[in-house]
Amino acid sequence: MPDRHVGGPAAGDRLADGFALLDSLVDGRAEAWDLSGEIPLEVLRTAGERGLLCAQVARELGGLGLSSRDNGELTAHAGSLCSSLRSVMTSQGMAAWTIQRLANPDQSAALLPELVGGKLAAVGFSESGAGSDVTAMTTKIEVSGDSVVVTGHKVWMTAAHYADLLVVFGQCEGGAAVVAVPASAPGVHVERVADPLGCRAAGHANVRFDSVRLPLSSLLGTPGMPLPLLVTTALAYGRISVAWGCVGILRACRHAAARHAASRVQFGKPLHEHQLVAGHLADLYADEQVAAQACAHASACWDAGSPDQVVATVLAKHVSAGHAARGAAAAVQVLASAGARDGHVVARAYRDAKLMEIIEGSNEICQLILAQHAVATAQ
Amino acid sequence: MSTESTAQGAELSAESIERELLGFLEAKTRTTLTPDQDMFASGLVSSMFAMELVVHLEQTYRVAIVGADLKLDNFRTVQRMTELVLRLRAGSPAVGHA
Repeated sequence: MPDRHVGGPAAGDRLADGFALLDSLVDGRAEAWDLSGEIPLEVLRTAGERGLLCAQVARELGGLGLSSRDNGELTAHAGSLCSSLRSVMTSQGMAAWTIQRLANPDQSAALLPELVGGKLAAVGFSESGAGSDVTAMTTKIEVSGDSVVVTGHKVWMTAAHYADLLVVFGQCEGGAAVVAVPASAPGVHVERVADPLGCRAAGHANVRFDSVRLPLSSLLGTPGMPLPLLVTTALAYGRISVAWGCVGILRACRHAAARHAASRVQFGKPLHEHQLVAGHLADLYADEQVAAQACAHASACWDAGSPDQVVATVLAKHVSAGHAARGAAAAVQVLASAGARDGHVVARAYRDAKLMEIIEGSNEICQLILAQHAVATAQ
Repeated sequence: MSTESTAQGAELSAESIERELLGFLEAKTRTTLTPDQDMFASGLVSSMFAMELVVHLEQTYRVAIVGADLKLDNFRTVQRMTELVLRLRAGSPAVGHA
């Protein structure tokens, strides 16, 4: 009942093509991108044009029409290669998902084909005074006549450095609204976050909107919608995408640590025969499997249309991010000096995974949600 | 889930939707509700739970709740949700998947 048939008979082929295309696009350059803090724009545009960055967009709109499960596998693969690219994927997918949920059919028909046609998108929630508490956001969206005017300052918008379209959340008429802002609109100022801890080539930027005036058709949904529900809806995609990306981080770490432990000899035998090192390998393997199962369960809930997807997604995000942070630290420990330099796969994983414990609902916010669920379902 | 039979029924009455929704909500919130009870005023609805409700309505009644219909007023009471479902089923074609 879940997933496979959602993408149609050729979904498996599209997934295999997606894996191959990701391999050829990254082509061993993740380290160089990490060090330079930049993914070549043509790489992102190609990934976008081929539908990889938001692979659940329907085929009628030019997308790959993958199920949540297949898109998850694709996301994990991207995460195993390069978490910066995977972060761009998460942003684009979240933008597409937000448009799909909030836009009217005309807006969807105009915007979604662009997002699978090479245009890049970012989503803006956070502000300097509104992180976990999104309701504290002060960005204003004002409707005046046939225009909408956006004023505010978003921080840490992933992929905004590359984006053509900025999907921005703000306060509007006693509630909230979302606007699709072209990055080229007058009054939009994009400033990169200097030297982020992780996902260094994901193009994080702070973006100022100085009375950005747009046609009313840029407003998605209707003014005065409930902000927490809007953000929860958009974040749900971001959370499951990050969760699968963390599975990829764990996979890359497990392979790197196991390869190293099998080949490096100390005290007359390979590292993996030293029991304390073997313990790290076992933990890494278990963490990867547990995270993958939590993600597979959440995606199965999405594909089946089950309301359980809401909590299952938070669980998957929480488990995967925590395990990725722990697993990456273990992988650095196993590789030791062989992996302890910027750009190395386990060093990237160590920095990237830490950020995953912060974004799209910090560990602590996830815990609050899960605790609330535990109380609500207590017998 | 026991939703398939509900969704397949060609004729859905307001009464049957209300009954199903009251059952769903009772199981989820462990509270007995009336069809006109304001769930937001009762503090029974978080944004996470509101999203669960959206997904439940979409899956059970084969409707898409998007755009302007995501306003809280549509989910305030069982009666409002029932009206929303009946309106979307009358006006919009059934949706397969998102």
